[in-house]
This record gives sequence, C-alpha cells and structure tokens, in this order.
Amino acid sequence: MEDYTKFKLKRKEELDAVLADKNDLFVVACNKCFKELDSFDEPECGLFEEIAKEQGKNIVGSARIDFLCNEPLTSKSFEGLLPEGTKNVFVISCGLGIQTIAGLVEMPVYAASDTVIVDGHHGMALTTTLCDACGQCYLNLTGGICPVVDCSKSLLNGQCGGAKNGKCEVDKEMDCGWQLIYNRLEKQGRLQEMLNQPVELRDYSKVNHKFVSEYVKSVREERYEGYYGGIHPTEFKELSEHSSLVRFPEPLNVVIPMSQHAGAPAEPIVEVGQQVKMGQKIAQAVGPISSALHASVSGTIVAVEPRLHPISGLEALAIVIQSDGKNTLDDSVKPAGDLDKLSADEIIEIVREKGVVGMGGAGFPTAVKLKSPKPIELVLLNGCECEPILTADHRVLLEYADEVVYGLKAMMKASGAPKGVIAIEDNKLDAVELLQAKTADIENIEIVVAKTKYPQGAEKMLIKRVMGKSVPSGGLPMDVGAIVCNVSTAKAVSDAIQLGMPLIERVMTVSGNRMNKPGNYLVKIGTSVKEIVNHCGDVKGDDVTIKIGGPMMGFAQANLNVPMLKCSNGIIAVETTVKEAVECIKCGRCADVCPMELRPLYFTKYALSEDWEGMKTQNTMDCIECGSCEYICSSKIPIVERIKIGKTAIREGK
Amino acid sequence: MLITQLKSKETIEALAQGKTVIINCHGCKEVYFAEHEADELQKDLNGVTQIITTDYICNPDNLKLQLKKHTDVINAADTILVFSCGVGVQTVAALFEGKKVYSCCDTYPLPGFQGVTPLNVDCGQCGECYLNGTGGICPITACSKSLLNGQCGGAKEGMCEVDKEMECGWERIYRKLEKLNKLDNMKYEAPKVRNYHNPNAEEPTI
Amino acid sequence: MRITELFQRGEFVLTAEVGPPKGVELDHLIKDAHEYLKTRVHALNVTDNQSSVMRTGSLATCKVLKDEGLLPIFQITCRDRNRIALQSDVLSAALLGIENLLLLTGDYTTLGDHPQAKPVFDLDSVSLIHAVKRLEEGFDIAGNAVDGAPPKFAKGAVVSPCSDSVDVQLAKMEAKVKAGCEYFQTQGVYEPEKFIKFMEQAKQFGVPVQLGLIIPKNVGMCRYMNANVAGVHVPDDMIKELQADKEKTKAGDTGVEICARLIKECKDYAQGVHIMSLGWENRIPEILDMAGIAPITPVV
Repeated sequence: MEDYTKFKLKRKEELDAVLADKNDLFVVACNKCFKELDSFDEPECGLFEEIAKEQGKNIVGSARIDFLCNEPLTSKSFEGLLPEGTKNVFVISCGLGIQTIAGLVEMPVYAASDTVIVDGHHGMALTTTLCDACGQCYLNLTGGICPVVDCSKSLLNGQCGGAKNGKCEVDKEMDCGWQLIYNRLEKQGRLQEMLNQPVELRDYSKVNHKFVSEYVKSVREERYEGYYGGIHPTEFKELSEHSSLVRFPEPLNVVIPMSQHAGAPAEPIVEVGQQVKMGQKIAQAVGPISSALHASVSGTIVAVEPRLHPISGLEALAIVIQSDGKNTLDDSVKPAGDLDKLSADEIIEIVREKGVVGMGGAGFPTAVKLKSPKPIELVLLNGCECEPILTADHRVLLEYADEVVYGLKAMMKASGAPKGVIAIEDNKLDAVELLQAKTADIENIEIVVAKTKYPQGAEKMLIKRVMGKSVPSGGLPMDVGAIVCNVSTAKAVSDAIQLGMPLIERVMTVSGNRMNKPGNYLVKIGTSVKEIVNHCGDVKGDDVTIKIGGPMMGFAQANLNVPMLKCSNGIIAVETTVKEAVECIKCGRCADVCPMELRPLYFTKYALSEDWEGMKTQNTMDCIECGSCEYICSSKIPIVERIKIGKTAIREGK
Repeated sequence: MLITQLKSKETIEALAQGKTVIINCHGCKEVYFAEHEADELQKDLNGVTQIITTDYICNPDNLKLQLKKHTDVINAADTILVFSCGVGVQTVAALFEGKKVYSCCDTYPLPGFQGVTPLNVDCGQCGECYLNGTGGICPITACSKSLLNGQCGGAKEGMCEVDKEMECGWERIYRKLEKLNKLDNMKYEAPKVRNYHNPNAEEPTI
Repeated sequence: MRITELFQRGEFVLTAEVGPPKGVELDHLIKDAHEYLKTRVHALNVTDNQSSVMRTGSLATCKVLKDEGLLPIFQITCRDRNRIALQSDVLSAALLGIENLLLLTGDYTTLGDHPQAKPVFDLDSVSLIHAVKRLEEGFDIAGNAVDGAPPKFAKGAVVSPCSDSVDVQLAKMEAKVKAGCEYFQTQGVYEPEKFIKFMEQAKQFGVPVQLGLIIPKNVGMCRYMNANVAGVHVPDDMIKELQADKEKTKAGDTGVEICARLIKECKDYAQGVHIMSLGWENRIPEILDMAGIAPITPVV
C-alpha cells in the first residue's frame, strides 16, 4: 500500500537554523495517518533527535501520539507530559497537529516538519486526487471527469491547445483532461450537449471561510454533544414507531433458557411432567449475581434439556413448557401492597424474587444494582433507545407511562436515591411530552431530553450526558452514585410490586425494512423467534439477515429455532451487508467516533498478532462493543469481533 | 475531507432522465450528508428504478462489491444519479464509462483532513511550514489572503475585512508572539514568497 | 520625476487621489485634474480597481495623465495579478516613464463588484516592494537578470496611524521599510493626537510620511467609515461638528474646514499631505488655501 503521510521532516539546514538558539527541547511526533498500519515506530522522531543531539541540544523528553490533530484526545494524552525545565516544544506532524499542540501549551512550539499535498485525502479510498471541492460540481457537463482536477489549468470551457499527442503541456505523463472529457462524451453521444454549453465561469466566492467555519462549528457541537464521539446511523424507526402494542398470540410451547441474565445461570426446580401455573417460579438464582425464572404460561413441563441459545449460539440448558392455553395464574402472583408501606429491603426482595433483570441488553439482575454498597444519588431511567429500528422502549413509554414512573419511584426508594431522571432522545417527542405531563407534580423526577446520537443508551454515555461524570475505567455506575435502568425494567419492577407478576413477558419490536409486517408486540418470554417472524408475514428477499436486538449490537441468527429472552428487545430483518475487510489505512475515523475515547485501530492489529499486552495497554476492556468503530470503518474491518477475541484472551488471563 | 451540499431540486429533476438508478454514499455521513433532504427529494423523482444506499464508494473495489447484486438494474438504466462527494461521482463514472453519471451534490473543502471530525485548525498543506515564525498559527489559513509578510491593513478592531466574524490572522500571530516574548520573529529579514512549483519538502540527510 | 526627490529636497509633498472610471471616457477626470489639482498637488495617485470594483486600468490612466503634463503615482495591488503580471506591469510602467509607485496588498475580491473572481495574492505588499527593489537592482524576483539598464522608481506604501492596533501596524511598516519602501501615505487621519504619537514612533525608520486625509462629506459617511473602513476612526465631536450646521455640511464646507484644520495640526509632524477626495477634487484648492499651503509649480 502506498504511504499517504502528508508531512516530511524539514531539511537539515532548515532544522539547524531553527534549532540554533533553542535548547531543552521536548519532541512530539504524530503517529502518521493515512498509511498502512504496519508499524508503530515513526523514524522521523529519532532522526530529528539525532539532528538536535548533533547540535548538542538537551532533549528533555519525547512523545508519540496518534492523531495529534484530534484535540479532545490529544489534550488528554498530553496532560502533564511536559517535564519541568522544558523550554521549547518541537512537533513532527502535519500543520494540524502542530497547531493543536501550539494551542495547548504556553511555551513556544516549533514545526520540525513540512506538510505536503498528497493525493487522495479527499474521500477515504486513497486513490488519486479526484475532487478539488470547488463547491460547484461540473461533473454533470463533463461525463464525470473533473475539469478542475484533470486539467492542469482547471479550464472549464475546453482544452487550452497546449496538449501534444493527448498529453498535458504541464506534465507529459498526464492525459489532457479535456481530451478525456471529449472522448467520454463522444462515447455517450453527448458531443452536441457539450457544444451547446454556455460559457462557464468559476465562482470563487462559493467556497468561503464563513460557510466552512460555521459548518465546522455546527458539526463539532453535534459531535461532542453530551459525550465524545458517537454516530448517527439511519434510524428507520418510522417503520414501527406509530404501531400500537399488540399482544402476541399465545405460544404453544415456550423455551426458557436458564441463562438469560448476566452472571450464573439459574437452576431448574421443576421436573418433566410437572404441571406449572403462569408466574410460578421454575428455576432459582444461584449465587449473588443470578436471577430466578418463572413460567410464562400455564401448562406441562415437557423437557429440561439443552436447547440452542440465541446469544451464545450454543446449546444451553432450558425448560420447555407446553401451554394449556389457559394462563392460570399462580397463587404467588398477588399485589405487594402500597409502595409507601414497603421498606427499601422489601422492594429489593420483591425485585429479586420476581426475576427482574435489565431489559435493555445485558440482563444484569436489577436487585443487585439496587442493593448498592455505595451511596446512590440518582436513578437514571434509560429511554434513549438509540439503536436504529427498535421502538419497543418508545412504546413502553407511551403505553405504560404510569408504570414506568411507578417503577422509577420504587427503585429510588429501594436504592435511597434522592433523585430520578428519565432520559429520552429527541426523536421521541411524544413520549417526552407525555412523561413530562406525568411527572410535572413530582419534584424529584426530571425528564431529560437528549439529542439523538448513538450509543447514547450505553450507561456510561448516558451518565456523561446527564450527570457530566465519567465512570472510571473498569468501574460501575455506582462509582459515580448512579443506577441506570431501562424503562422496560422500570415497568417490570412496577408489575412485580403492583401485580405481583414476575418478569414473564416483555415488549419487543419486530421490524426492519425486510420484515413484511413490522410492529410492536407484547411477547411471552420463551416464545420462538421463528413463530414471531412467521406471524409478522415473514421476510422479503433472499439477502436477509435476522438479528435479535438492534442492527448495531444485535445478534445475527442463522437458525430461528431460538427463544425470546428477557433482554430481547427486538427481532429485525435487514439487508445482508456485503463486505470484504482490507488493510487499515489509519484514517482515524474509529478513534473519532469511539465514545469510550479508545483507539480501536490498534485492536484490529493486536488481535491478529495475538498481542494481548498491547490490547491491555490500549484499554480493550473498557470497550462497550457498541460497534460505532466497525460501522464507520472505511476498510470494513470486523473490529468488534477482534475486540471480543482480545477481551476473551485477557479474561482467560493470557 | 469533504462536505457536500445538495444541488437544487430543479437541477436534480432535470438530470433524472429515463430509467434512473440512485446511489447514496453514507461513508462520510458523520462529516456531512443531507440524508433526510436527499430522501425527500428522491421520493419525488420520476423514473427511479432503484435506490442504492451504501458507503465509501470512493473505494472502487468496495463500490464494485456493493453494486454487484444491482448489476441488472444498473445495466438497464439510462441515468445514474450519485449523491456523494466529487470523488464518489467520479468513481462511479469511471466504473460505468458509457452511462450518464450525474452528480447531485456540490462538494466543499473542510479544514482538517483526517478522521471524521472537522477541525477548528487548518493547514494549507503548502509544503513549507511557516508555523515556526508565527507562534504556531498558520498564516496561509488564518489570513483570508494567505499573506506571509504581515497583515494587509484591512482589519477593523482586529476582525478581518473579508469576514467580520473572523479574527485577523496576523493580529492573532502578533499577539501570540507578544505573549511568547518572540516579537523579534516579526522583524523583517527577507520577504517570504511562496513556492507554488514544488511544494514537496526534501528529505533531510545526515 | 520621482517624488522621493521632492522629499529629499525638503519639500512638503502634496498628492491627491483620482480614480479611473468604469469606462474609457477620461475627459472629466483630466479636466478636473487640470482645473483643481495641477497647481495644488505635486502628484496624483491613480487607484488600481479601487475597492475591488472593476475599472479602467491604473497604468493606462497614469500614462494619459503623464501625457497631460501631470505627475502620476501608479498604485498596484496584489489582488488581481500574480508575480509574473506584477513585475511585468512594473517594467511596463518604467517603459512609459512612470516612476512613482504605491505598492499595496489590495482589498479582498468579495468586497467589490465581482465577488466570484479568483483572489490572487500571490505576493503581498512587502514582497511586492522587494520585487520592485530587485528589478531596480537588475534582477527579477526569481533571480533572472533584467536586460539593459534597470528601472528606478519611488517606492511607496501605506500605513494606518489611527489603527486600533498601532503596534501591529508599526511592525509591518518596519518590514516595508526594510524591504525597500521609500515613502508612506497614511490611511485617513481624523485624530491628530494619535497621528502625532504614531509619527514619534515612526520617526526611527527615517522614511517620509504623508498625512492621509479623506474629506468627511457628511455624518452618514463618517459612521459608515467608523463601522467598516479599516484604520479609520472619526471621533464623536467631529461628527457633532458635522451635525451642528446641516446646511454648511451639505455645502461641503464643514468637511473642508475639518481637513484644513487637520493639516494645520499635523503639518509639523508630516512630510506631506495626501488627500483622498472621493470625487470632491474641486474642494482641494480650498482646503489647501485654508490650511495656508500655497500653490506649487508643477513638476513632471
């Protein structure tokens, strides 16, 4: 691969002159971008230091930083880096990096490099320069060949007459751009069109500082809104956001895997042949982080055996119940009484007993969160639903607003939090309005409207957005005094207390542009995905991927004979993406969008070379697997997959 | 790094002749792409046989891969409308030399040329870095006229004559040097004149 | 004749600005020059597409004025020409016997009547002064020898004594002097105390400076300049003065009085006066009379 680095060390004579009256130097080198990620060593840094040492200069220190121009990340990396006694900073980088450092430090900053124009930095494909960004595209008149770039003189009204044998007078290796245009238009039968063109004049005022600077300001505000990075995938929520909840038809069988939460799988307490009622406990929690399971239908236990698990893709122990279609309620399902009369511990016990777990994704047992060893100042209900396509939480907010508020109050009481917040993204304004009305009289509950940006629903992002605090590396929300729960979880807490109903059904979205009949459904836990897809009119086309969850973090399913879990918020059918991974070109987009402020490009390399130490140095374990890096990757590298490999290796102690 | 603006609706309508295939590139969407405006506009166009939304069409290999399953409908089309930067349009045009490939966007340059995030700082890639004499503020990009030997005199209360909301680059440089106690840098030794011919710096040799 | 010779002789050098029209009818300009300026100012600055508005060229107009027995100063900006065209025009000026130059960077293109035009700014005022100096030394800016006897010019530039950042102005002024500038004309001055203070600092460069004056025609013009024109500030009491007697101001008399007064107050600190009348050439004799400056014998 060609090297598109756009800076070169200045000539030695020039460096000698700049260095002459300066001493006590700190050297900063930018790890180059737009080049194959093949080594992490940039020779210029050493070369410069040699030149400086030859002059007898004292070098107080040096640093190599990725994407020096990325001010938010660079300012962090640079913090406290300059040793005492530093008098001058020399930077080896393109002009952007030099200016970033010059803006960060008070002392004089010098450029040790010159920035050169390289082909192909417009567009991500590192080919040749194809576009001059003139703001007045002429390609429609020229058969898709750019006269501004492909003609040395950027002529707009035909060739200058200087070409010889079709080659440009400025560069004999270069084809005459207008000759190419002529040939292309002739081929398309458009010569008359070309001859009829009125005289073209370029408008140089189109690309002006004002337009660009105002634009930059707006984009930067959006990019750093709430938290660093993030992306804006197409939402496709219109497919189902206005479809009211429908109760899914009674399943004949339900398959309830013992593992549907973070922590240890539950242990069956029923036997094959046994009759169970709806809401009856069928499996008990094992250990501190585990959760009980309940029958979602009344009927007969027909099997306790390994079945295909939708997340692991492996067989795992499950209880299969054949429904008698009666949904006879278990005696244990009865209201717990007035919330005011319940103690914090009683609420936590109900939540534990009724098998409530986080319903946004990971399925962490809610009772464990509520029983925080650290003081909690805020219960943060997550109604962001930042995943595209999914609208389940949106419908819960609209159709169970009272239950959500009740659940929040219960969790505040259980955790001793003085304050509650329901965070909703601004693409659900109807839900915002409704919840604002419902909570208008409640002093300590606030509705926060967050500007839509993925992955806002990730708890660490949401905490940053709402509280302005960062959860420390490896830490939990409680470390900053917060509990984050999904709005569906709040509804489940409400059901557990008000009805005595354990978590046996949930709201889910069945959608995607390849699903024939998108909608939102109230589905029993354990219902077969295949049944649900069939019920929704099956999928369109043959290049379809079905996922449980959203398009960003959902799990693709090859075999639809898997059950719905407590944390399955949707089934989507989308067009299968075709991609072939190529080498990383260090375009830096992954580092620009990573909300955890990591540098995912390293993971792609370290996973392949099994460099687990490198993985640790780059804080792989902090990755939340949101997939933003993979989404934006111009080289189509399966970054998340490689990150998971690294995480597994580190967990295994490699 | 580029940003795009949609051409006017009338212009695009006039371009959509006969059977039309639309290609949207979302690769640089985080930088800028008027996704919703483009969607709305495409709904009203006549003769559209297929809308393909993909990313990084500036990469010819990726473009080919993404268009593979649409080969038939593209072959049958009279016109291909591309909603992308100028690089993407030309990549498509080069792939289908015999087809009318039209651009539906105008492309603008963006300060900063890596990553997704547009930067406040700017570099003219002149190949002869002047930052050493200017306190780390680039005269090529911070001055509307890219002057190298000091301000033009057109600034009023420190603001540029070209854009009254932009600070005069040379006043910024002067103040920065003053702060660094490096005003000597402003002292004239020889005029600085740009070399437009061969901006590529030479490699140093030891 | 080069006006530097006048400075050397110790003369108080008087110049006025004329702008070529958009079109080739120069009769009016020539008539006014003869009638009001010929015996009152030593030389006439001819503007170069002033304010980025396209007009007849400065060089050709200079030649016409010279043929009329007037002494022109060829103003050159860097806005519209690259270094090839600039040096070429400087040599052309020498060929036509035009020896006085005022070398400027130039207003930006978008401020004028062709905002779509490509702004050039290949050189700037400092490098242009340097380029002219090199031509005088027998070389072009690329180091190629110029055939025959090299030309010789009076190389002038501008400076704004009443700028909101005088320190930055002085730094650039020094660069211009070092590059070879031999005289300065200032931006319009309305605050004598600022001018005097500036001149005390500018003295060190040992280069003559002409006090620049823009005739204040009315209150609106002053307010506009205060808001928009770089380096110009009309103080409040002067605006009040223009407001006081509306009839008198309308007749142009207040502006004339102000200019005369400014000349008197600054005269001892300047080496000449440069009047930018913006179409009021006919008032220049009055201003000079009122300031006690006698008519001159024309030089060519």
